[in-house]
Order: sequence, then C-alpha cells, then structure tokens
Amino acid sequence: MLVVDILTGGVRGGTAIMFAALGETLAERAGVVNLGTEGCMLVGALGGYAVAAETGNPWLGLLAGALAGAALGLVHAVAVVWRRADQFATGLTLMFLGLGLTSLFGAAYVGKAAPGFDPVPLPLLGDIPIAGEILFRHDPVTYLTFVVAPLLWFTLNRTKAGLLVRAAGERADVLHVHGHSADLVRTAAVTAGAALAGLGGAQLSTAYAHAWFEGMTAGRGFIAVALVIFAAWRPLWVMAGSYLFGAALAVAPALQARGHALNQFALDALPFVITLVFLAVLGRRTLRAAPEELRRVFAR
Amino acid sequence: MTATLASPVESAAPRRTAARTAARLLGALAGALAIFCVLLLAKGADPVTALGDMVASVFTAESLEQIVIKATPLILAAMAVVVPARAGLTNVGGEGQVVIGAVAGAGVGLAVPGPAALPLTLLAGAVGGALWAGVAAALRLVVGVNEAVTTLLLNYVALDVMLYLIYEPWKDPHGSGQPASRPLDLAARLPLLSGTAIHMGIVVALVAAVAVWLVLRGTSFGFRVSVVGGNPEAARRAGLPVARLILLAMLLGGALAGLAGAVHLAGVEFKLRPGLTTNIGYIAFLAAWLARHRPLPTVGAALLLAAVTVAGDSLQLDSGLPAATVNILMGLVLLAVLGWSRRARR
Amino acid sequence: MRKIIAGAALAALATACSANTGGTAASSSGGTSVPGKGSAAVGFIFVGPKDDYGYNQAAYQGSQAVAKAFPQLKVLTAENVPEDDNAARVMNSMIAKGAKIVFATSYGHLDAALKVAAEHPDVVVVQQGNLITGTTPRNAGTFFGTVYEPVYLAGIAAGKATKTGKLGYVYAFPISQTIDNIDAFELGAQSVNPSVRTFAVSTSSWCDPAKQAEAAANLLEQGVDVITQHQDCTATVVKATEAAGKMTVGYHADASSIAPKGWLTGSEWNWGPLYSDIVRTALDGGFTGSKYNGNFRVGYKTGDNPFVQSAYGPAVGAETRSLIEAAKEKLKTGSPFAGPVRDQEGKVRVPDGTIPDYETIEKIDYFVQGVVGSLPKS
Repeated sequence: MLVVDILTGGVRGGTAIMFAALGETLAERAGVVNLGTEGCMLVGALGGYAVAAETGNPWLGLLAGALAGAALGLVHAVAVVWRRADQFATGLTLMFLGLGLTSLFGAAYVGKAAPGFDPVPLPLLGDIPIAGEILFRHDPVTYLTFVVAPLLWFTLNRTKAGLLVRAAGERADVLHVHGHSADLVRTAAVTAGAALAGLGGAQLSTAYAHAWFEGMTAGRGFIAVALVIFAAWRPLWVMAGSYLFGAALAVAPALQARGHALNQFALDALPFVITLVFLAVLGRRTLRAAPEELRRVFAR
Repeated sequence: MTATLASPVESAAPRRTAARTAARLLGALAGALAIFCVLLLAKGADPVTALGDMVASVFTAESLEQIVIKATPLILAAMAVVVPARAGLTNVGGEGQVVIGAVAGAGVGLAVPGPAALPLTLLAGAVGGALWAGVAAALRLVVGVNEAVTTLLLNYVALDVMLYLIYEPWKDPHGSGQPASRPLDLAARLPLLSGTAIHMGIVVALVAAVAVWLVLRGTSFGFRVSVVGGNPEAARRAGLPVARLILLAMLLGGALAGLAGAVHLAGVEFKLRPGLTTNIGYIAFLAAWLARHRPLPTVGAALLLAAVTVAGDSLQLDSGLPAATVNILMGLVLLAVLGWSRRARR
Repeated sequence: MRKIIAGAALAALATACSANTGGTAASSSGGTSVPGKGSAAVGFIFVGPKDDYGYNQAAYQGSQAVAKAFPQLKVLTAENVPEDDNAARVMNSMIAKGAKIVFATSYGHLDAALKVAAEHPDVVVVQQGNLITGTTPRNAGTFFGTVYEPVYLAGIAAGKATKTGKLGYVYAFPISQTIDNIDAFELGAQSVNPSVRTFAVSTSSWCDPAKQAEAAANLLEQGVDVITQHQDCTATVVKATEAAGKMTVGYHADASSIAPKGWLTGSEWNWGPLYSDIVRTALDGGFTGSKYNGNFRVGYKTGDNPFVQSAYGPAVGAETRSLIEAAKEKLKTGSPFAGPVRDQEGKVRVPDGTIPDYETIEKIDYFVQGVVGSLPKS
C-alpha cells in the first residue's frame, strides 16, 4: 500500500536525521547552534563504516561513529564556547573539515565490504498490521532511536544533568551563582550532541546504505538543524518531525516504483518549505520555546 | 554573534595586547599547518613535497587565470555577507541567492535576444538574489525569525527550484539527457579579456567590491547601517528607520550574491546544471569572516580561498591525494582565524 | 558622477574584450602541430572516486592498463572531477604537466572536453560515452562500447530467473545510455519470458547510496525479485537485494563477492585495450581522421566490445547459459532492438525486419512496452 510504503520509508530514511536532530536539540538546549552537524554526520558515517570493516563488528562501528562525531563536536565547542568564535562560521568550517577529512581517509573504504545491520523484524510487534510494518521491521539501530528520543526527553526534563543543560541554555548567570560553569555544561552538551550526529551518520552507512561514499550525507545534517526549530526544541517532536521529513524523501521512489512520473525536486524542497512556512505562521510562538540564550542568536 | 564589532575595540587596545593577539594567531596558524602536515604524513604523503608542489602549482599563468575565474563569484558572494553583517545580520544564504541569481539570469538570458541580453541577464540575477534574500528579511522583520536560519533553509529550496526547472520545464531538448538548460547565446555571455580565459566578471566583482567599500565607508546609508548593526536599540531611539535599513542591507546583499550567480553563469558555465555553484556561497561566507567583514580585505580572502581550491588539483595530480583534502587545510586555517585572532573574552 | 566614471571604464574595457565562445576560439599556440603526437603524459579525469566498485573504478583500471602498456608515459589521474567548468580546469592542469592526450571519462564532461580541445589544438581530448553533434574538431572524439548488448544478454538471465515476473532497474538519469539499457534489459527478458515487466526508478544522482537504498526497498516492496542498476557506485543496491534474498544482475563490476547467493550475471568493463589503442593512435600522430576522431562505438557487430559479460552465479543453469550463448551469436549480425520494437503506448518504433544501427539506438528516448515507469518530458 502506497501510504504504508511511504511511511515505512519515512522511518527508514528519517532515522539518521533523527539522531542528528536529537543531538542538535541537546546542543541548542544548552545554548549553542552547531551548523557543523553535517560534518559530524560525515565523520560518523566514515568512522562507523571503517571500523565495522576493520573489526568485522558493526556495533563497534556504531561506537566509533559516535566517537568521531564527538571529536569534531569538541572542536566546535572549544572554538565557540571557550574561544568565543562565531558559531555559524565555525559550524560551516566544521562542515568543510568533515568533508576534507572523510575524503582523505575515506577513499580506502569506498567500495570496501563491511558487515552492517540488516532488518530484524521484532517478534509480535512486527506482526501488527500496518503499524508493525511501518515501525517494527527495521534494523536494530532504528530501534535504538525508539529508546534514545524518550531518553533524551527524560534526561532533559527529569534529571539534574538535564537541568544543568537547560540552565546553561536559559539562564547561564544563574548557573554561575550556583557554582557551575555554563561553559563546561555547553561543551559537554555540544560534544554529546555531536556524538549523536555521528551515530546518525553511522546508521546511514552501516544500516541504511551499507556503503561509504564521499559526501553521502547529502545535506541531512542541515535538515536536522532545520528540524530542531520545526520541533521547537522538543525531543519527541523531533522524532515525529524526522519521520515527516523522511517520508517527504520517500515519496519519490515509492511513486516511481509504481510507474508514476515525478519531478522529485519539488518534493525534495518540501521539508525546507514546510519548516519555513511553519516558522512564518507560528514564528513567534515557536521562538518563545527557544532557550533564552539561543534567542539572542535566533531572535534578537 | 560577538565578533562583528570586535576590531575597533582591538585597535584601541594597548600595543602589547595587539602583539599578543598577533602572536596567538600566528601560533594558531602554525598549529593548523602542523596538523595538516601530520594528516598528510598519516596518509603516507611527504608534507614538504606536497605543500611545495601545491604552492608551486599556483604560480603558473594558467593557474593564476583559474584563480581569478574562481574568485570572481566568490568576491561578489562574499560582499553579500559583508553588507548585511554591517547591519548585524548573518547571511548564510549566499549559496541559495547565487543559485537563484543564476536561475533568474538564465531565465532572462535565454529569452532575450540581441545586445540587451547580457545586461538584462546580470540585472535579473541581481533582482532574483535580492528577492530571495528578501524572503529571509521579511521573515525577520515581520515574524522575528533569525535570518541565519531562514537563509540556510532557503539555500536548499533554491537548489531544488533550479533542479526542478532543469529536470523538466527548462531542460535542453537537444541536450544529452542529463538535466541542464540550454546554453546562453553568445550575446548573453560576458566577454573575455583578450588573450586570456578570464571573463569580464572580475571587473564587475571588483567594481562592486569598491562600491561596497565606498558606500559603507562614506555614505550616510553606510553609517546608519553600522549604527543599526552596532546597537539596534540605540538606533531605534535615535529615530533611525531600523526595519528599513535591515531590509535594505539584506536586499543589497542578496543582489550581490544573485549577481555572483549570474556572472558565473554568463562568464563560465553558460548552462544551468546540477552542481553549478559548488559551494560558492559557503566558501564566500567563510572568506568574509576570514577578512572580518572588511570589504577590501574580503577581496583578498576570496582570492586566497580560490587559490586554495586551485592548489587542491596539485594535491591530486602531484601527491595522489583526494582533491577535497584541501578542505582540511581551509577548515583548519579558518578555525585558527575564527577562534584565535583576538581575545576570547569581551 | 560615479556612474560616468564606471561607464567610461567599461567603455575602455570593451576595447580589450573578445567573445566568450566557451573555448571555440582556438588559441594561436600549436595550431599546426599534430595533436597528441609524442606526448610525455596522458591524463584521465573521473567524475567519482577511483574505487567506487563501479564506472570510475573500471575507468581507473583502464588508465592503469595504459600505464603498464606505455611505461614511458606519465599517467595522471584525477577523481571526483565535477561535470562543470572545474573539469576544464583540471584537464588544463594536466596539459600543463605535459599531457597531450586527455580522457574525460564521464558523460557530463563533454562540454568541458570540447572547450579544452578548442583551446589546445595540439592535445587529443577524448570523451567517454557522450556524442559530439555537428562537426567534430580534428583533435577530439567520443568512444564507447555498446553497453546495451551485454545488458540484453543479462536480461535473458533475469527473465529466466524471475519467479514473480517483475524485474527492477535503479538508474541515475534518463539519458540515452540508461534508457537503452533499461529497454535492452526488458527486451532480453521478454525474449524468454514474454509477460515479464521491468520497474524503473531513477535516483537523479550518479551515486547517492541513501537514495539507492530507498529505491531498492521500494522495488522489493513491489514484488520485484531481480534487481539491476545503472549507477556509478553499485554496492548499496546489490547488498540490499542480497539481504532480501532476491537476485542481482550486476553493472560496471563483478559484485558476486557481496552477493554470493543471488548473483546471476552482469556486465563489466575492460577498458585497457581500447584506451591503449587510442593512446597508441594519438602518440603515433594518427589521431586526426582516425576512427577515434568522431563518435566511435564498438560492439559485438564490429569487434571487441569493452563491455563484457560477468561470470555467472550458481542460480544460472545450463539451459539459460545456452540461451544466452545463442543470443550472443545472433547479436553479431542482429541487435537487441531488431524490429518490431513497440513503445509503452504500443506504437511500433522499430518496424519488423529492421535492424537499427548504433547511432539510431543511441537516440532512443522512449521506454519499450513492458517497462513500468515514465520519463520526464523535455
């Protein structure tokens, strides 16, 4: 069924975006924008694929992808948080760094075989009509997001660590009064967020495409940044938004496989147009949800 | 979001601090170079030879021509960052404005015959870019959404608009089947400087850069815009039309980026095709930052980044490394400049 | 005032102008020399990475065969060269390093190749896969194999192997090469299985693994049980098909190692001999007027097709193999597009009894009956 196929494709293709967008949510809740998410995904995609190829263990690959993303994220944090560099310029620089690094070290892994994640239908859940097909017949990394997104929500809203992150994003001065360093909290949040972006990249290479290829993230990191605003900095909305954006990308192949002609570029623009329209219509309300420290960046 | 006005503060600082700042930046640049060398070593390349070949490859007549050609749209698109930055705006949308400029230029250039074709192509590019940037400006002024976010989103929409057009409605019926528009007629193309491969776009770019410099430096518009950029609240209290100035700065920026797209189209590419811009907007954004948004140094920064791109060919042909490796060098140098060219704390 | 100054400056500049013909105005240097003769180096540009398990890797291997055959030549290679003016820049860099023979190996490199050829009359520029329309410059040409012939044979294997009667084709852009291949694949399958259909999905990219994964997933969802492709990088679709327990027909490279169960057969490149012959012709000074100084095509009818059949997988039985052998014999005088060929609307496009020549086939711009999918109007 067409709709089911598109939604299934949305989950399949939305997962990598979701990891990255959850990571960006974490960073932005702490008050820092990471436009370099694209670069973090790229190094994650290569790190994940390369380590999976070298060790024969895709789980180790996933870990390596997260670490690679975190490493690049740390660079962002040091430059932006500690050196007060402009976050947009630094983020874009990070994208070029990621492109260059993965091009230099990735050439050896293009076309190289590596073990990856194949779909594992969940028992019982996978047999539910429609919903089971859409949600529960994927690879294990996709199931991981079912845990990570609520976990991020819980951490942000119900734990001390989450409180610190939100404080760093809302009222850095209050954090200082209580003897905490907003800079340290932001560094941790940006780095951890970039690790999630790296995971998303690794999902792309080891679970979705089963290949490493230069520039294979193809703008998904930027989609993720847009998505965070669309979702008003809320992890569970990010989850839903990822599937929506993923579904927009899945419409073209689903229709084509049924013989329909389609100029898919109109559809490719959809996620971005939706976000823009969303911002235009709900702009002020959405931005009221923005962390206070971010509002200085986003809505002066 | 802090750096735009940092330089005047610095120039007022004691000389010892300035010296320390210079030393810090030099140290960071040396560090960037060292890291790059270590990475080259890790790939089994000899960094001294590789860098030597890179530098040598730049100083040939052909390479210098290529650098000028590459730098032409970069200069214009970097000015599209400089002008809004003066008003305190972050225009990350150069890439999209360049694309729309090329699209508008092609739309007009392919339709208009005769000698009017070239000027109208360039004009259409500028108008297209301005309108595209105007969307972001309007969202900023009416709804209060930051332009950095919207311009970035609009980049992707712009690219999809172009791909949509060349995939079907504007596709060259006599073309090879890959999506591309018809080529511009000779009349709509920028002429070459006799005896070289350099097209007249460089003149357009340099004139624009000098004009931006003059306008920002010597006109009341330039002054008012920088007041808005420095302290919008004070500007408002002083009775300046803040919204109008912000809109104008953004439209002017978009027009410059759109012009970059039209110039690139009419000077080199002649057809709309996927990958037309190859990151012109993003590299230009970084060039403007490299020069701390000062118009004339930005021209130098654009030339420098163009040279880095051309030097990348040498990495591939001489050292057998992927051409994109130069992005690492570019990224490291930019990080050094962004993070270590001044004191971190205000 | 400023306007007047600018106007005057522009007027002055106008006198220093020349028409921007995109390189068709030949520079004065070397206008009389024999293109390519005595070159010290030969350059190859690739649109993708040289180890993509596909098109670019095959071309790279061809360049290394040239290096082996001509040890005195310096072989320059550049990967990831985009299909725009950057390609001309990279070719010029190669020429500056002494290359008087340059191979532009991607379909979209043609504009840049012709520009470089016009600027350097002493350099032979050959382009792989596209067609030069109009007059061919004396130092340029295109070359290609007739890829659709082995693809037709692979279609026979697919037509015999499918149980659902549905084949899948993941392709990049609707250009003549891909359309020919999709049609030939379907026609080959039809020749042994009249009711078989081929579902075609385009990704609008020579290599976007994520889009390929989505395309393959949708084809499998439609009940397709044999998938082939026309992409530069091929691993993603092959792995997705194998993971689903379905069958693969390869393209560009032998991917049987990543599809040990589902591999049927495929087509792959052997560029070495053709590249070497072009280089030899140019080095000897005989390029102008040779068969390579035009749109050179070689297939089963005219000699050694550089596009060869891959090895068979375990699923291809003796009966299928003999059917393919018989068909291959027939191609030496016939064609996959021997009439009658009907398009999707049922209109006869190649009349009964007609065998179209290579040039006609390369201009086919329609899907044949049995292909499910549609092409953009242009």
